[in-house]
Amino acid sequence: MFRRRERVSDPVTIWFCDRAIEAAADDSVAAALLAAGIACFGRRPVSAAPRAPFCMIGNCFDCLVEIDGETNLQACLVPVRGGMRIRPYPGYEPGNDIKMSEL
Amino acid sequence: MSQDTSTDVVVVGAGPAGMTAASCLAQSGVRVLVLDEHMAPGGQVYRSVEKVTDKRSADLNVLGSHYRNGSKLVERLHSSGAQYWPGTSVWEISAAGEPTLAVGVVRDGRVRLIQAGHIILATGAMERPTPFPGWTLPGVMTVGAAQTLLKSSGLVPDGRIAVAGSGPLLYLYVSQLIKAGKKPQVILDTRPRASLQAKLSVLAALTVDPASMFRGLGWMREVRREVRVRERVHRLRAGGVEKLSSISYESCDRQFTDDVDLLLVHDGVIPNTWLAMSAGCRHHWHVQQRCWVPTITGAGQTSRQSVSVVGDAASIMGADASVLHGEAVASEVIACLEGKQQNAVGNAAHPFLVRQQRLLRRCLDQFYPPAQEFELPPDDETIVCRCEEVTAGQIRQVATLGCVGPNQGKAFTRCGMGPCMGRKCGVTVSRLIAEHHGLGMDEVGHYRIRPPVKPITVAQLAELEIDTDAHTA
Repeated sequence: MFRRRERVSDPVTIWFCDRAIEAAADDSVAAALLAAGIACFGRRPVSAAPRAPFCMIGNCFDCLVEIDGETNLQACLVPVRGGMRIRPYPGYEPGNDIKMSEL
Repeated sequence: MSQDTSTDVVVVGAGPAGMTAASCLAQSGVRVLVLDEHMAPGGQVYRSVEKVTDKRSADLNVLGSHYRNGSKLVERLHSSGAQYWPGTSVWEISAAGEPTLAVGVVRDGRVRLIQAGHIILATGAMERPTPFPGWTLPGVMTVGAAQTLLKSSGLVPDGRIAVAGSGPLLYLYVSQLIKAGKKPQVILDTRPRASLQAKLSVLAALTVDPASMFRGLGWMREVRREVRVRERVHRLRAGGVEKLSSISYESCDRQFTDDVDLLLVHDGVIPNTWLAMSAGCRHHWHVQQRCWVPTITGAGQTSRQSVSVVGDAASIMGADASVLHGEAVASEVIACLEGKQQNAVGNAAHPFLVRQQRLLRRCLDQFYPPAQEFELPPDDETIVCRCEEVTAGQIRQVATLGCVGPNQGKAFTRCGMGPCMGRKCGVTVSRLIAEHHGLGMDEVGHYRIRPPVKPITVAQLAELEIDTDAHTA
């Protein structure tokens, strides 16, 4: 969906599930994931519909992810840190259509 | 409570309004603490301006000359003596000990309470909700979001892009994209035919502020030369299974379908009122701007004695007017702290500039009214509440059952009860209910907003050190 205008000069590595992603040191988590082509940041508990960042300024909460074990963090507001482990909201793997009603 | 957790004035937000108000106060010797959710000052309009100026000159050229103005405001903030906390979210403003306020913040994963004599909310604007079928699909995002990615990380869209809606930001962003070497496939203009009143307001604005008007007209001319614009677009839909793959729409009574990878939408901005609402400030419906605004006396005084609002958080005024408003609100707050009687400080400092900005804003409000189909989605299947996936049809249904307000609607549908707390559906749900019953917006009202307005964990709350003396009274 997005590409960088310039190459990242001193990248840091972050993890989305088991995928290693190179990010610029001053990226937000959301910008780093979008630049890496991640299209689904998580699924809504109601229908398991996929979601990705919508507003990028902290209002829509569609970019919620789990970071290093802490849930419900807004990826657009959290800066990246090398080695960070990110999982989709609310903990489902992308492509896995679990519905709350089936749990 | 320790020294670093009490201050004279807390300013929430570091856009043009917040930076200016904080600088003025600090330069007058007031102790000021600026709390900013983002990692550097600038707000959204001047987002990442220091970083772009220092390290990314290619992006600075793309973003244009107006963006550069932000550097001066940031420099003034840094040299003013105001304390600046980046990466800090405010989750509560408590008035239990008024006139001293307790401001609940979360910073570096730690929750704390800050005591302040006064708080200035400079929480800025957010994009107006634009519900249409498919707007929740990955691949659909706001124009503002895409522009934030350009400013903060130098990202430009890849693949086939469509841009839909209206408003000055839409044309500004597309003109920036063209400079960055990327052209959208199509712009879908949802604006109705300009009214006579709108045309007259353009003339008035041209007379008082030709520079701004020609800048805006320049963006439009450049964009229209390079990109196909479909006029009077209706019935916009986004389609795709796991992400966006196509859009369909009507333009001038013809039906179109395009394959696209990214759809950017924008229909103007509205004040971000969530903190002011949670603090118990009175709000009313702004008829011209079609949004909720805090009810203000003087320059920025809300219905709560120790709470002021400034800039776009007060009503949409734009970056330049926000600077003027920041100065006026700072003077008012200084007088208030000194216990002086207020004699309508208002915007007395620069009467011509204030009048100029007001006429410019009136022109923009009339020239870019919100699209009716975004305000009142005609298709019942359209998701209105993105978090709980409540549709326009469900809101109409509970209105038919006798539901007369958005808070009652929560009990029926859970609309507005997801993580965004109604930020993306509040205006739409109230509009749909008002429309159904033929009531005014002030009669229907808005969601009741309760803290915490930003996510915090139980563990963070448990670690909070409470000054028990302050709470025994």
